[in-house]
Amino acid sequence: MLLIVAVTGTALAAVIATSLGLLPLVGQPRLSTTGFTSLSGDLRLAAEESLLTAVGATLLAAAMGMLIATIVLHTGRTGWLLVGVSAAVVTVPHLVGATATGLLLSDVGLAQRWLDVPVTAWPELVGGRWPWATVFELAWKESAFVAVLVVASVGRHYAQLREVAAVLGAGPRSQCRRVLLPLAAPALASSSLIVFVYALGTYEVARLLGRAFPEPLPVMAYRLFTDIDVASRPQAAATAVVATGLALLAAISTLPLVRRLGADR
Amino acid sequence: MRRTAHQPNHTAIPALVLFWLLVPLTPLLLWVVASRWSGTARLPQDFGLRGWQEALDAGMLTALVRSALLGLAVALIATPLGVLAGRALGWRLLRRPALPSIVLLAPVVLAPFAVAMGLDVVILRLRVPGEVAVVLVLSVFALPYTTFTMRATYLALDPALEEQARVLGASSRQARRRVTLPAATTGLVTATGLAFLVGWSDYAVTLLIGGGQIVTAPMLIGSSAAGSGNDSLTSTLALSASLPPLVALAVFTYAASRRRTAAHS
Amino acid sequence: MTAALKLLAITHRHPGAEHPTLTEVDLEVQDGQMVAVLGPSGSGKTTLLRVAAGLEPAESGDVLLDGTSVLGVPPERRDLTVMFQKPHLFPHLSVLDNVAFADRLRGRSRSQSRAAAQRYLDLVHLGDLARRRPRQLSGGQEQRVALARALAASRRVMLLDEPFSALDTGLRTSMHQLLAELRAALDPTIVIVTHDLDEAGLADRVAVLVEGRIEQFDTIQALYTKPSTLAVARLVGAFNELPGTVESGVHHSRLGAFAVPPTAHVAGRAILLARKERLALVPPETTAALTGRVVQVRQSGPHRDVVVELDRARGDDRTRVEVEARLGTTLRPGDRTGVLLPGSGELWIVPEPGVSATPPPPARVSDSAPRVHATVTDASVATRSTKG
Repeated sequence: MLLIVAVTGTALAAVIATSLGLLPLVGQPRLSTTGFTSLSGDLRLAAEESLLTAVGATLLAAAMGMLIATIVLHTGRTGWLLVGVSAAVVTVPHLVGATATGLLLSDVGLAQRWLDVPVTAWPELVGGRWPWATVFELAWKESAFVAVLVVASVGRHYAQLREVAAVLGAGPRSQCRRVLLPLAAPALASSSLIVFVYALGTYEVARLLGRAFPEPLPVMAYRLFTDIDVASRPQAAATAVVATGLALLAAISTLPLVRRLGADR
Repeated sequence: MRRTAHQPNHTAIPALVLFWLLVPLTPLLLWVVASRWSGTARLPQDFGLRGWQEALDAGMLTALVRSALLGLAVALIATPLGVLAGRALGWRLLRRPALPSIVLLAPVVLAPFAVAMGLDVVILRLRVPGEVAVVLVLSVFALPYTTFTMRATYLALDPALEEQARVLGASSRQARRRVTLPAATTGLVTATGLAFLVGWSDYAVTLLIGGGQIVTAPMLIGSSAAGSGNDSLTSTLALSASLPPLVALAVFTYAASRRRTAAHS
Repeated sequence: MTAALKLLAITHRHPGAEHPTLTEVDLEVQDGQMVAVLGPSGSGKTTLLRVAAGLEPAESGDVLLDGTSVLGVPPERRDLTVMFQKPHLFPHLSVLDNVAFADRLRGRSRSQSRAAAQRYLDLVHLGDLARRRPRQLSGGQEQRVALARALAASRRVMLLDEPFSALDTGLRTSMHQLLAELRAALDPTIVIVTHDLDEAGLADRVAVLVEGRIEQFDTIQALYTKPSTLAVARLVGAFNELPGTVESGVHHSRLGAFAVPPTAHVAGRAILLARKERLALVPPETTAALTGRVVQVRQSGPHRDVVVELDRARGDDRTRVEVEARLGTTLRPGDRTGVLLPGSGELWIVPEPGVSATPPPPARVSDSAPRVHATVTDASVATRSTKG
């Protein structure tokens, strides 16, 4: 516990201090908000891009993850193959997923080759106007994560509860709506929150699959961080502060919901 | 028999989901055996292991070993701590369990790049070796996973098991070592695996804190994917970084299923 | 009048199993009647319920509700409900909403269905726990809620699958009482599966299921006094078994000749049954009494069971009988005593297993001839627990 507090606390304090000019690499510390103000326009665009990616990825991952979990829980033994495949997908590093997605969706990617679409007509999925490829990669890997978590949390007793629901008059659709969904809700909500904050903070996926401008917050932060211009350090830290703030906001606003959903069990 | 009406759903949708989970990885499988695949051809013109030779030349093996060591180090730190924290939370040994739960959420919510950025300044000033810093930061990010896994494991374990061992003459340490831990094997392996994966697949933290000096497998993939345009090499690196965890997962799943069937018969 | 629920020649086999779990099972439950399906564990009684409910497909046979076949109908659209062995309350719903579940499915408004649910909760005496969560209930309370939930579904037939077997004796008795109250108040049609004779005794009729076949379908009194087969007698328990042969209305065995009760239609090889409480211990010199030596005295509830090894046994056969003694018996192992068998009105006869009732087909008789039940009256067999 102390380790976590020490490391994250120090890091957070240092990032905020840097963003406010209190922790320069060289020179005198001086309190200023130039880190934020000097590129406020870019920051806003980057934040929008990050939020768009994260919302898209989270919604898609939650929907696909829930679909996978539903199939697993409703098909019995064969469904466990899907759990195995999902677990396998969870172990694949995001960087690998991003690489593969690039090779799949780029304008000379596998999808274009196999679907017989001319290169010129292929939509700009990688590095284009909309972060299609980034959303796809995040949703792909995180849907497996959501599925594994939901299956594990609903797990054992669902088969019996489903039978009870059936003999009380619930058809397949009502079983899903009135039993499976509420049972899965806590795991679905908490895993979606995790996916959302991960998607906000991921660097490598957006770096490989996103476009150069406007870039999402982590990519922008890294670019500024490694810039030779010393002045960009506070800007990088400011970007990190914005990203952290968004993630914290998301967590704080959804945690009560997650808690309320899970409190009754 | 009563499900006959839904028969198409029962094969089509699972197949579709399997497709969703597996398709993103197919380009890798083709590229690793392609030595020439230009234009928009559907399949490589020449098959061969050129990618593997280049990967070896690029130092793939050393990078894999370095990644494995990083993963091991993270697992060695995060798993025991996770066991302690998970036991306290799962068996409700704490008077105020809400606080550690919130502290544990911090690494989940905070973006790795932001934490790494903040610590970079501190690490430079304190002259902490990069490797140590990377292991430390990643262990913090792994802790929520190990703790929550072990919490769930201990929740499912009856503390009376340990008491039973005590009244049979085991000391409290013996009881923990010989009874509780073996009963928690599955959770323990899962926690270790997750912690290992955090170290094994990390990119952002290694890049930011290591400053490009610590060359792990993801670093190789990242630089190859971003810069080289050598898809065959990138795919080979990506695949070889995915295989070891997959093999470990398969072995563990097989062993677990063996043990389950043995217990049933 | 058509039966509320009728099972016709149900045969069921678990996937990959060699022997069927159920063989040609017929069962008829009249409207407002309560029928118990009594059987040892593994007899297929739960499977029978699951087939009736549509949770498991039958290999052959038919399920009729009010005279209409529901064979292809999924469970949710059959006019029946099941209460399982475990309560299986929905953890995401409050106690009240668990009971209101079926009404909500029928599209009734939340407040309407909650009001109805509250009435059912009051019926099971849990009216004040409506707002609780399932995990805040005790085992007995959970099962009461499950009962209320099944009742609130207001289906034509209610199937209860060993619903009270996980409860302790006190709770079980109070649940039995509750069930009797509910029957008086709502007059539901009930099939209850159980391995407990006391529970079966709540029912109007009892179907005894042994190895997937219905051996007897009768009142509980008839099971105690006139079991149709040896298997039923052993399930009911507390019978002394005496193998022998019936010739022109008289059973001959090592212990002598006994007139066969006129209502028992058995001939050929047959087993004489005498309940242990119908036998009497008398001083050894009493006329007409069998004599023997006490080998064991066991406390059984408020009574004492005295096992007597009879003198008349010839050769290696050690014929033992078990007698339920009056309170205060001072007999100890080693003592000599007399045993008085009851008159033919209190004896019963069943065919020897493998031999069908009158008239015995010759082929079958020769089949079973080598099977000698020399020590069937061994005490351990005769008193095989009814709660096994």
